[in-house]
Amino acid sequence: MRLLTHNMLASNVRGATTGYPLKLEASNWCTKEVELNADFIRGLLPKIDWRALVATTRALGLPDLLPDEQPPEEEIFAKGAADVEGSAIRRIHHALLEIHVQQGSLTCPDTNRSFPIDKGIPNMMLHEDEV
Amino acid sequence: MAHAALLHWSPLLSLPSSTSRRPARSRRRGVVSLRPMASSTAQQQQAPAPAPPGLKEGIAGFYDESSGMWENIWGDHMHHGFYDSGEAASMADHRRAQIRMIEEALAFAAVPDDPEKKPKTIVDVGCGIGGSSRYLANKYGAQCKGITLSPVQAERGNALAAAQGLSDKVSLQVADALEQPFADGQFDLVWSMESGEHMPDKRKFVTELARVTAPGGTIIIVTWCHRNLEPSETSLKPDELNLLKRICDAFYLPDWCSPSDYVNIAQSLSLEDIKTADWSENVAPFWPAVIKSALTWKGLTSLLTTGWKTVRGAMVMPLMIQGYRKGLIKFAIITCRKPGAA
Repeated sequence: MRLLTHNMLASNVRGATTGYPLKLEASNWCTKEVELNADFIRGLLPKIDWRALVATTRALGLPDLLPDEQPPEEEIFAKGAADVEGSAIRRIHHALLEIHVQQGSLTCPDTNRSFPIDKGIPNMMLHEDEV
Repeated sequence: MAHAALLHWSPLLSLPSSTSRRPARSRRRGVVSLRPMASSTAQQQQAPAPAPPGLKEGIAGFYDESSGMWENIWGDHMHHGFYDSGEAASMADHRRAQIRMIEEALAFAAVPDDPEKKPKTIVDVGCGIGGSSRYLANKYGAQCKGITLSPVQAERGNALAAAQGLSDKVSLQVADALEQPFADGQFDLVWSMESGEHMPDKRKFVTELARVTAPGGTIIIVTWCHRNLEPSETSLKPDELNLLKRICDAFYLPDWCSPSDYVNIAQSLSLEDIKTADWSENVAPFWPAVIKSALTWKGLTSLLTTGWKTVRGAMVMPLMIQGYRKGLIKFAIITCRKPGAA
């Protein structure tokens, strides 16, 4: 499960107010390099909850990967930024697309219900009494 | 052996009377009563029905078991092909027809193609092994999430995405379409290709689709329905109900509804630009082709190595053809837009 996926997942458990963001605990995660596509990130960025993304990178033990506030778009998509090591766009790309959580869990902030992540796949199925 | 097996699985359930409502709790495990949703003229508000016990597990188990075999013979699209009326089609044509089905659906819904307005985020509801997810992600350069009840399918689909260099754009997870694990308004395009048949509560299903659609976003539902009821009818005829029931049991389908039922639900949710069409004629070559593929050496040996659920599914395929021929089963597309600025 990539952090891009995590950023879009919410808990639907009965009694949850927003069920978002899910708290990530990862017992096993890795990184896999993926080609950076600036247009793709440009299309995605408006849909990303920055706070949730940053909190999750910190939960994984990467406190310095992303700043607390989202940098301005001009800075992220500045010409040539993709080629600069450590640039905002490269960090965002790395956080969203290159981190893969293989085993772990996602916890609903309102109800504490835990959803397992197994072999990289989150199982968001609710039990009958949680609907 | 097949005949004896059919008897063993034939459920001992009498048809529900047309005047009484069977309470959901009295349903036997895995067997569902068959009342089509009331038509709009009857103006009945159905109480939300809990999924029949065992339905979700049945669906997950069915696809866990049969998905590999289907993929082996048909490839990664688990939906009908779209054919010109009266077209005769060979096996090679079928894969092409499955792609055409996706394109025809997008065209029908007028999903924009240009870089500004094309969908950036897509959800594939009932994604199977992600055939549509990967196709749409590729076509639009978009982020596509897929949800399926089957862990086997999710794993296989993610592996296929990785193999095709799409793992940044496509990810499948295990989730319930009636409780989608997404916050409101996430997706520009909400795609349900032949998964609606499995949803036990059509209203909840469409409500969830609408909930996760972004303002101005598009919803596309392609699904099997039963024919619209005449104004004078409150239900299908007994022989029609009987036929659907046998199909339902084998494919883990809950009650069917009509295309009008979907349109009415969309209207009640204030969705806009609602369009629907009957594509039954355009899918006519499909089931005969599936049966033919099952009867090939590859098909038969695959069936032998899967399991009973798959074999049972295979055995009711002629009933699908019967259903279409009688005008009972319809292949329908319903599309609409969520109000608001795109």
